[in-house]
Amino acid sequence: MKLTTTLLAGAAALCLASFANSAAADGHGPSCGLNTGEAATGEPIKVGGINGNAPPGDFSGGTDAAAAYFDCVNANGGINGRPIEYIVENDQWNPELAGQVAAKLVNDDGVVALVGNGSVVSMAVNANLYEEEDVMVMASGCAISECYESSNIVSTNQGPLPSGIGALTYAVEELGTKNAACIGFNIPNNGGWACDWMEDYMSSQGLTGTSILMDPTAVDLNSVYLQALSEGADTILLMLPAGPAIGLLKVAEEQGGRDLFKWVSPTPLYEPGVADVLGDYWNDNLYIHIELAPFDSDGADNQNWAAVVEAFGQDGDRRDTFSQSGYISAKFFVEALLELDTDSIDRATVSDAIRAINGAESDLLCAPYYVGDADRHMPNSTGRMVAYTGSAFEVVRDCFAIESSYFEPIRAQEAALGITQ
Amino acid sequence: MVYGLFLVSGLAVGSLYALGGIGLVILRNSTGVLNFAYGAIAAFSAMFAWQVTDWGLPGVISWISAVCIGILLSVAYGRLIAPSLAWREPAVKAIATLGYMLILLGLIGFIWEDALRRIDLPSDKIGLSLLGVRVTLTRIIAFVVSIAVVIGMVQYLRRSNMGLNMRALADNRDHAALLGIPIVRTETIAWGISGALAGFTGLIFGSLVRLEPTVITFMVIPAVAAAICGRLTSLPLTLAGGLFIGVAESMLTLYKPAAPLRTMAPFLIAALVIIWMQRGQKLTFAKEV
Repeated sequence: MKLTTTLLAGAAALCLASFANSAAADGHGPSCGLNTGEAATGEPIKVGGINGNAPPGDFSGGTDAAAAYFDCVNANGGINGRPIEYIVENDQWNPELAGQVAAKLVNDDGVVALVGNGSVVSMAVNANLYEEEDVMVMASGCAISECYESSNIVSTNQGPLPSGIGALTYAVEELGTKNAACIGFNIPNNGGWACDWMEDYMSSQGLTGTSILMDPTAVDLNSVYLQALSEGADTILLMLPAGPAIGLLKVAEEQGGRDLFKWVSPTPLYEPGVADVLGDYWNDNLYIHIELAPFDSDGADNQNWAAVVEAFGQDGDRRDTFSQSGYISAKFFVEALLELDTDSIDRATVSDAIRAINGAESDLLCAPYYVGDADRHMPNSTGRMVAYTGSAFEVVRDCFAIESSYFEPIRAQEAALGITQ
Repeated sequence: MVYGLFLVSGLAVGSLYALGGIGLVILRNSTGVLNFAYGAIAAFSAMFAWQVTDWGLPGVISWISAVCIGILLSVAYGRLIAPSLAWREPAVKAIATLGYMLILLGLIGFIWEDALRRIDLPSDKIGLSLLGVRVTLTRIIAFVVSIAVVIGMVQYLRRSNMGLNMRALADNRDHAALLGIPIVRTETIAWGISGALAGFTGLIFGSLVRLEPTVITFMVIPAVAAAICGRLTSLPLTLAGGLFIGVAESMLTLYKPAAPLRTMAPFLIAALVIIWMQRGQKLTFAKEV
């Protein structure tokens, strides 16, 4: 568990730089920022990050990957000679602590921006603070409406709404879904929010959608499953984190439910360890929408993400979608900073530079990334579908845009910025 | 037919609540401690069982280890911390166990990183169809064990010398001490029995529900509700309370407006039971038991 990570140029950076250079020499090393191979030694630029890492979950993948990338950047020339001092705080899913650590970073430390954030609690608590202080947050792991409906937060990950509707789009178009049950947490800005829009999507298609909301600590998953059965649904959309989704799949396995429903899920079930807990029962019967490129993709950015985390990350760092997302957020952030006059880097210029990001590309994403000056941000609303095959995930549909009336203001922003999904 | 589905499903979950409640009542009957750390002990035991399996050891060793760890953690508190609170009010004793719960939860988070895990028992693969629901042997074991523990403990408390000692302690700790009842030994055995049940419950819970420490830890809440239905003293009523809560929670699923709120069922039922059973009678936390 990592409470605070401070990246400073110095001996550690020199060691890392020499390691990175040796790795780069064989053609498989990481590539970061200016890629000079020289450690940055100028005045540090303070950047913050907040994650939630305590029971019931670890959302530190985004900040871990961002820390690794910034380390790599610092070992390769920094921001035109200035290293990034990355200060990471863990809010432990505690709203009071979330407020305190955000105030510390924004008011006391004076960070120019926050990058790689992965805490739904922090987003809900601090969205107003970020707006009042005009500090931009390039988040990486979020799952509540505040992340996507705030002027100063832009998250690289999709969260449940687009990813869930993406999964359902595939189910309707490829699996013949007519009546879907969305099983989510009974949290208004999470499961309730995403499942409501799922119902709206199904209705727009002339089909039936039902929300089945449960308490996050619900024990009788059997009843949840039986409720879906009694609703007459033909498809179950698991709008849940991986843990409860696995619990529900186990109940369904007990009941022989694999063939009674079509099973689809947003990204949380796309996790490296999922095959160890699901076994073979669900092979070719579970379809998952993924927000970023597959972990084993041979795209340059995906390969670089893996190389950066390998060379500059810690042993315990998570290698999941949030990690990929943290890498992308950090990379686009660094690219934006490199456009600035080094001496003029402060919060105002950095916020403007982030808002000016438009058309940034990465093979991890299906479409260009952008921010813009808007009251909401959702730059990633395309994705892929994979089928669970036990030993691996097989891509069954490559990049496709997710459509729902929810995206109307998003599409209007994109049109204004000249971006097509 | 559909009611049958939910009845069977509710009984299966209710037996888990009952198991938790029974462990709480056994301990409180002899030590006066309402152990809010019961769920955390269950969670630690389940995680340890997973760890043993992950080390490649046979399943039977992991199951036994879950029970042993439950005993160890429970007795550790009973011997090291509980004696210094022996003369405090029941509410103080109960609140102290909340601290132990947080310590255990923190330890679990420290030892085991957040990851997807699963406990599979051989009994998960065996089952029968009852009123349209497939009931696995694991669920049947949970149900049967909860009944067997109630019968066994009632007989143990009535017929054995140690049971007599436990009942004497429950009636009046001061008098029991004056009579020469070995208090430490008696309480240690009570903590051990409760810990064994917590370990077993954690193992079954981890298999049937999900292996998430937080979820298992807070299983103590409906378990306390079941224990309250038994007025923190009666094992048969605790069993009935646990089963009733499970069935009520399950049946509420059928009424859609109430379905998202059905996790309130344990609290509502416990509150109603308290109001009903305490009509003009003694308060649960009014005095030392």
